[in-house]
Amino acid sequence: MLLFIARRLALAVTTVLAVVTIAFVLGRATGEPGALLLPDNATQADVEALNSALGFDRPLVVQYLDTLVGLVTGDFGDSYRLRESALGLVLERVPATIELAFWAFVIGLLLAVAAAVTIQLTGSRALRAIVGWAGAIRQSVPDFFFALLLVLVFSVLLGALPSLGRTSYASLVLPVLTLATGQFVMYLRLLDAALSEQASQDYVRTAIAQGQRRSTVLFTRMLPNAILPVLGMAGLNLGGLLGGTVVVEVVFAWPGLGKLLTDAVSQRDFPIVQAGLVFVALAFVIVNTAVDVLVRRIDTRTATS
Amino acid sequence: MTASLVATPAPAVRRWRPRPGAIVGALMLGSVLLLTAIVPLLPGFDPMGQDLRATLLAPMEDPAHPLGTDALGRDLLSRIALASAVTLGMTVLIVIMNAVLGSVVGILAGYFGGRLETLITLLSNVTLAMPVVLLLIAICAVLRPSAGLTILVLGLTWWVGYARVTRNVAAALRRQDFVVSPLTQGADSVWVLARHIVPNVWPHTLIIAATDVATIVLITSSLEYLGLGVQPPVPSWGSMIYEGQRHLSGDPWLALLPGLAMLLAVGGVQFLSQQFTAETRGGMLRKGGMR
Repeated sequence: MLLFIARRLALAVTTVLAVVTIAFVLGRATGEPGALLLPDNATQADVEALNSALGFDRPLVVQYLDTLVGLVTGDFGDSYRLRESALGLVLERVPATIELAFWAFVIGLLLAVAAAVTIQLTGSRALRAIVGWAGAIRQSVPDFFFALLLVLVFSVLLGALPSLGRTSYASLVLPVLTLATGQFVMYLRLLDAALSEQASQDYVRTAIAQGQRRSTVLFTRMLPNAILPVLGMAGLNLGGLLGGTVVVEVVFAWPGLGKLLTDAVSQRDFPIVQAGLVFVALAFVIVNTAVDVLVRRIDTRTATS
Repeated sequence: MTASLVATPAPAVRRWRPRPGAIVGALMLGSVLLLTAIVPLLPGFDPMGQDLRATLLAPMEDPAHPLGTDALGRDLLSRIALASAVTLGMTVLIVIMNAVLGSVVGILAGYFGGRLETLITLLSNVTLAMPVVLLLIAICAVLRPSAGLTILVLGLTWWVGYARVTRNVAAALRRQDFVVSPLTQGADSVWVLARHIVPNVWPHTLIIAATDVATIVLITSSLEYLGLGVQPPVPSWGSMIYEGQRHLSGDPWLALLPGLAMLLAVGGVQFLSQQFTAETRGGMLRKGGMR
């Protein structure tokens, strides 16, 4: 178990380093920011002065090492435009993004458990087919288009829900619904496959033959076994959820990390992009590692090895 | 039902009956492909030409523009046909690049093992643990966004799935008698790879590629929606939906029609690939419930 954790930690560090390196290379690929930040009539000397003030005249190796030190100390430099700490700007937006991702995950998972349990208890092929087809259709459109459909129905036609911004609990509904439906489809597929596999195991047949109620067997025996792989997958999928959140935040003008990052990218405000990418990678790696270790710990088949 | 006393001989070949999902999928995808093939041949085809006297025409309002026009008076049917061709073409290119690259790397790693295999495992673990889509957005935005850049970036980065699977298959094949035996008799590795490994690996590549098409379309059109793919005036599904979003309350078809084309194409591919996967895995996906 200790060896497993050590290995996972090594992988986590490698991953974060890789993201930092990519972010660094991207930052240099945009060129030096001096010419970009100063007005068009600035002299060459002004541009060079600003570049050296921002540290762009140092050798690349030194700049890279400086970035690595910044990673440890949490200093990613100041935003070019806002002259504020890039990390501070990123952290300011994090709660809004976590709000979306958290509710999308919880609602998607709960709905998937409810649907999968209903399918198992009723054994209804029709229900499984209907849910399967609806899921395939949901997965055939990208989040931003599904979001527009929701806006069209609930904001334009019914006028019931706000379509922009983060003003009240009502403005949470449409973005969360967009993301949660995507999560729901994925978890339902996994859960249904896992539950069906459990259903054909001997221990289930034995329990039912002994006269236990089917719902008892399902909830106390099968579900805990089936949900493990789904949780592992959910951890892995966090990246997909965050990627989806970026686009959905743009659609709904949601003031989260994704909106901040896409704005920063189009304004070439690289410290923010760098801080944001590294923050997401860190969050992602921490959750992934935690889920991996947790699943391994809970799962009695692997806990001892 | 009465049991027949005479045993009917088993048919030599199980008659192949397409599943309903496969038919629906083929019809959906086929309709979009037909659109991209036929519309450019029609006399009124002009995806770029603006007509500021005929802006925001509704579908069916003017026979010259069967699906209406956008805010600049450009013919929507022509634009959707071109956008479908552009996005689908890009997707096919990206999927082929990744399938070839990933399979070659995977086969070599699985067959030869050693350092290459370690490298692949590390690389795939690292990529799996990365917010890839976010990185793609950053890469496409920082370098000058264009269709070529999207193809290049996605085409060179989405192959780890292929490499993982083909590596496992190739490594398993490497231990089989029909691979070991010719090697002990002096056959060279190139011959063994071409004769025994590749033919057994490529069906796996095909399965991943089939499911990957949908993913790639969704990623490229998300990039297009953010303005990071095909650049105007060339239309794409994502950018058309983005432009149509502003007219959602008055003229919703501007966003809905390109979205519908995308739904038909991606949905068609998904239904087809699901049937294909179910078929090759011996109907494993059709297991019953608890009863």
